[in-house]
Order: sequence, then C-alpha cells, then structure tokens
Amino acid sequence: MSEIVEKQVERYENLLREMWTASAKYLGILSANLLVERVVWEVSMEYQEIELLQYDQNGISCARIAASLEENPDLPVEDMFMKFITRYVAILAKLLGHERTEEIRKRLKEEFATIPFASREE
Amino acid sequence: MPTSLLLSISVKYWQDFQDTLAKVMDANIYIFDVNGGSFSLFSLPVELCQEVNKGRVLRDEKCISFYKSTLDSLEDKDMLTCPYGLKLCAYRLGTYAQKIGFLVVTPTRLTTLVGREEENTFATKAHSIYRTINEVLQAILEKNLLGLRRLELNSIYEISRLMTSIVELDKVLDLITNSLIIIYQAELCFVGLREGDKIRVAQAKGEHGHLLIGKEWPLVQPLIEQVFSKVEPSFLSLEELRTLPGLTGVEVAPETEILVYPLWTALGAVGLLGIVAPVSLDDNSSRNLQIYANFAAVALANATLIHRLEREAETDFLTGLLNKRALRNLLVTELERTTRYGTPLSVIFLDIDDFKAYNDTFGHVAGDVVLQKTAEIIKNSIRIVDTACRYGGEEFVIILPGTKGEGAARVAERIRKSIETYPFPHRQVTASLGVASAKKNDSVDSLFARADQACYQAKRQGKNRLCLNPS
Repeated sequence: MSEIVEKQVERYENLLREMWTASAKYLGILSANLLVERVVWEVSMEYQEIELLQYDQNGISCARIAASLEENPDLPVEDMFMKFITRYVAILAKLLGHERTEEIRKRLKEEFATIPFASREE
Repeated sequence: MPTSLLLSISVKYWQDFQDTLAKVMDANIYIFDVNGGSFSLFSLPVELCQEVNKGRVLRDEKCISFYKSTLDSLEDKDMLTCPYGLKLCAYRLGTYAQKIGFLVVTPTRLTTLVGREEENTFATKAHSIYRTINEVLQAILEKNLLGLRRLELNSIYEISRLMTSIVELDKVLDLITNSLIIIYQAELCFVGLREGDKIRVAQAKGEHGHLLIGKEWPLVQPLIEQVFSKVEPSFLSLEELRTLPGLTGVEVAPETEILVYPLWTALGAVGLLGIVAPVSLDDNSSRNLQIYANFAAVALANATLIHRLEREAETDFLTGLLNKRALRNLLVTELERTTRYGTPLSVIFLDIDDFKAYNDTFGHVAGDVVLQKTAEIIKNSIRIVDTACRYGGEEFVIILPGTKGEGAARVAERIRKSIETYPFPHRQVTASLGVASAKKNDSVDSLFARADQACYQAKRQGKNRLCLNPS
C-alpha cells in the first residue's frame, strides 16, 4: 500500500472516530453502533470491503480495511468512505435534527479541512 | 422492503457482470428498474441503438416512451419490435409478489430476425440469459434482505436486553425511536405514553419530531380509540394521521406507510408507537416490527413503573411534597453547590403549633386537612427554585438556594402570616418557624440542627413567630 493511501485511510479513520464519538454522545453507544451497522450494510452492496470496518463500544477501527488494501490497492477508498460518511450523516440528521448535525459537520470540517465533507445525500 | 431495492446494487459491478454475460452469450442486454427507467448501459454495441441514442445510454424520447409503456403492461415475457424495427425479448424480473425490474435482450448483429428458426434460437438464448440474471438478482436480493433481518434482529436483541439492564425511561424511549429510524429509514417515529385518560408524546424523532413532544391525545379521540381497539397495528392514511393534535400540517412523501402500534402488556395499554416509513413492509418485516413493538411495550412498562416508584418513594403521599429522604439527598447537592460556588443557602424549619391537640380534638381527618392546606400555603409562598418538604408529622422544611438569612426570614414571615390568617376548619392554626443559613463546612445534620434550634426557640418564645439562627 502506498504511503499516500495509508495516510488517506488513517485520516478517514480519525474522521470516522470523531463522527462516532460525537454521535455516541447524543445517541448512546447502542444506537451509534446500530447506525454504523446499517450504513456498513448499505455501502457493502457497492464496496464489500466496508464490512472490514471494526466497531464496538470503544469506537471504530479501519485496521482491517488498511490491511486489505495491501492485496487490493486499486480499491477506490476515497469513494467508499465518502459514501459511508454521506449516508451516516444523512441518517444522523434524522435522529438529531439538521441543526445539531450541522454543528457536528462544521466541527469536523474544521478539523478535516481537506476532506470534501457532505452533510446531505445528493 | 422497497420494490426498488435493485437500485441498491452497485451499477459499476453490475455492469461488469452484465457485459461479461452479454459477451459470452453474444446478445445485447438492457436492464430497467421497476418504473421502466434505465438501470445499466447497453452491454454490446448495437449499431442501431447506438446511432439512435448517441451512445450506450437510453436517450431517444421514442425509445424511452416505448420501453416505459411496454414494460408497464408486460405480464411475464414477450417478444416485441421496437419503434426502430429492432426485435427484442422482454422479461419481468423478480417474482409475482416482488417485482425487481425488467430485462430486455436483443441480437447484436442481426437487428431483425428473419425466419422462424432464427427467432426460436434467439428466444432460447434470451431465456437462458433471463434465468441467469434473475437468479443472480434474487441471490443479491436475498443477501440484502438478510442484512436487513440482521439489523432488525440486533435491534430486537438490544431492546430485549433493556428489559433487564436499563431502567431509565429516557434511555428506553431514545433507543426505541433511534432504532426504528435507523432500520426502517423512518421519516418520523414517535412514542406516546399513557397517562390516565390520555396519551402524551414522550419522544419523537425525525422530520418535525420535536414539534410533537409533549402533545396530548385523549383516549377518546376517534383515531386513538381505533388504535387501541385492537392488538395489531393500524395502517393510517395521511388524512387520518393529520387528525391528531400536533400533526395537522404534517407532510409525507408519496408511498409512505404510516403505522401506529398499540403498546399492550398484561397490565393494559402502556402507550403507542408510531412509525412513518417510506417503504412498504413485507410479511417478515411486519412480524419483526410487531415483535419489536411487543418488547418495546414491556421495556416501557418496566421503565415507567420504576420511574413512578422512584417518584413515589420521594414524595409524601398526603401533601404531595418531597419526603424526608428526598430532602436529605437534595440538601447534600445544594450544600455541595454552595461550597463550590460560594452561593448562599438557607433553610426554614416549620412546626405547626399545638397540632397534637388539634388532632385529638377534631380528629385525624381534620388534622390531615390542616397538613394539606399548610403544604399548599408553603408551595404558594416560595419560588420555583425553592423546595418544600414534609419532614415528618407536622414539621416542614423549605430549602432556599441562593437566599441569605434575611431573605429567608421574609419568606418565613410571609408563610407564618398566611397560615395565621387562613380560615382553617374549627379554629385558627399557627406555626413556629426557624431560619438558618449554611456556613462553611456545614453538613446536612448541622444545618438542620441550627434551623430546628431556631424553631424551638420560636416555640419557647410563645409560638406563632419566627426566629433567625444568629450564626
């Protein structure tokens, strides 16, 4: 895996962790993990590798996705993660209301400025 | 499940599969969704199609309208001729119960089939393609459904665990509404709890959910009556839903399903669960949702019961004020706040004068009336932030956060006067009051002791008066 892709996965992992932590704060861990499970299921119809995302009561890890990239370096990780984030935020907005979701989105956008973070589905 | 589930398949991956199949079978393949709209690109170059549509995407108006109307009325399969003379085989994908989409197969080289034999050969080939594609799609559909079932079962598992682990009503309400929004992509989900002869919306999430919380629906409201007249869920129309207060202006997308489950337990109706979801539920989903609603009912009944017991354990039955135990807990918190922020805190100790004699002379029922009226006078004389408690017998305690001794003395005097002038039955009633303010390093007991001492002093000085603890 190239260093660039490795860094990219690491940045997305940090972003997902922040998202998970912020949503677990408002929804509780059970609901936050159910939300992750739902979005993994949806995105897996296009990118099966998303099923390698690990999550439990302590948070999210992309370690197994990173490992799979060693064997499949052509996987469009950027698109996979963006689809995951877009779906996640869309459902989160229903649960928290757009205003609070926008707050989370804004905060994450400041921290992850280079990631084209979308809050609503196209 | 949504009938347009096919669209959840990655078009890119599907296109790869479709192109390979088309190449192997030497036939062109088109896939349409349930509404007759294009799903994938043409698999192999068919000159006529490419010319007319300027590429591999269906763009020509004549073609679009031909496929839409033809596929709309397609029963099962048919051999047709397109407006440009291309012979094709069209199939409906999925089952009778669940349409997935449509398949169109055309020859790649010969656009018009001449001769019966050629036509039969092509029809056989098209049928093989249909069987392969239909089976692959069914398998994908099954896999998708399994994913949904897993989500549903996980959620049912969590809610069943709640019955033994979580007893906080708010958490139970949150988990129920969150889960349903996540699993069924509900636009709106609400839980109403039964409070006497009405349903009060205790939690609502999704579009306009926040506007619903706190709304009350009488049990005699026709729609609510209809919901509770059975065990199964009620499927409502938008017009019916709008008859509920708080939902009059609600808008939902077309094809949305509106279900309201009555939540029953062995003890009776606990409340109701409403879900506005943009999908129509199949038998399995309906059954799972019913199981979920049953578990939710028991979890809510438990949490409501515990919530009520906790409240009752802290409340004095006769006066409705907090009891001695709750008072102690509250005072610990207030003293901590005083120590941390240095804000004043005062306590009033009130004792009804000669209450024993009143009780002995006029009876316990009359004595209870005096206690109730005194509690009412106290409640009407204090601020929202102040707390009144029945300490025991004819003794009351009032906690006044952010109030110095002088301020507390004014409140005590107001209460004393109100009691003195209130027309109690049989005879005039008076009270003695002691006021004390919290000092540094005060404990609940030391603060109480000083207020009690001041009250005792008021008694000794002739009753119907108040004393301020000087320290």
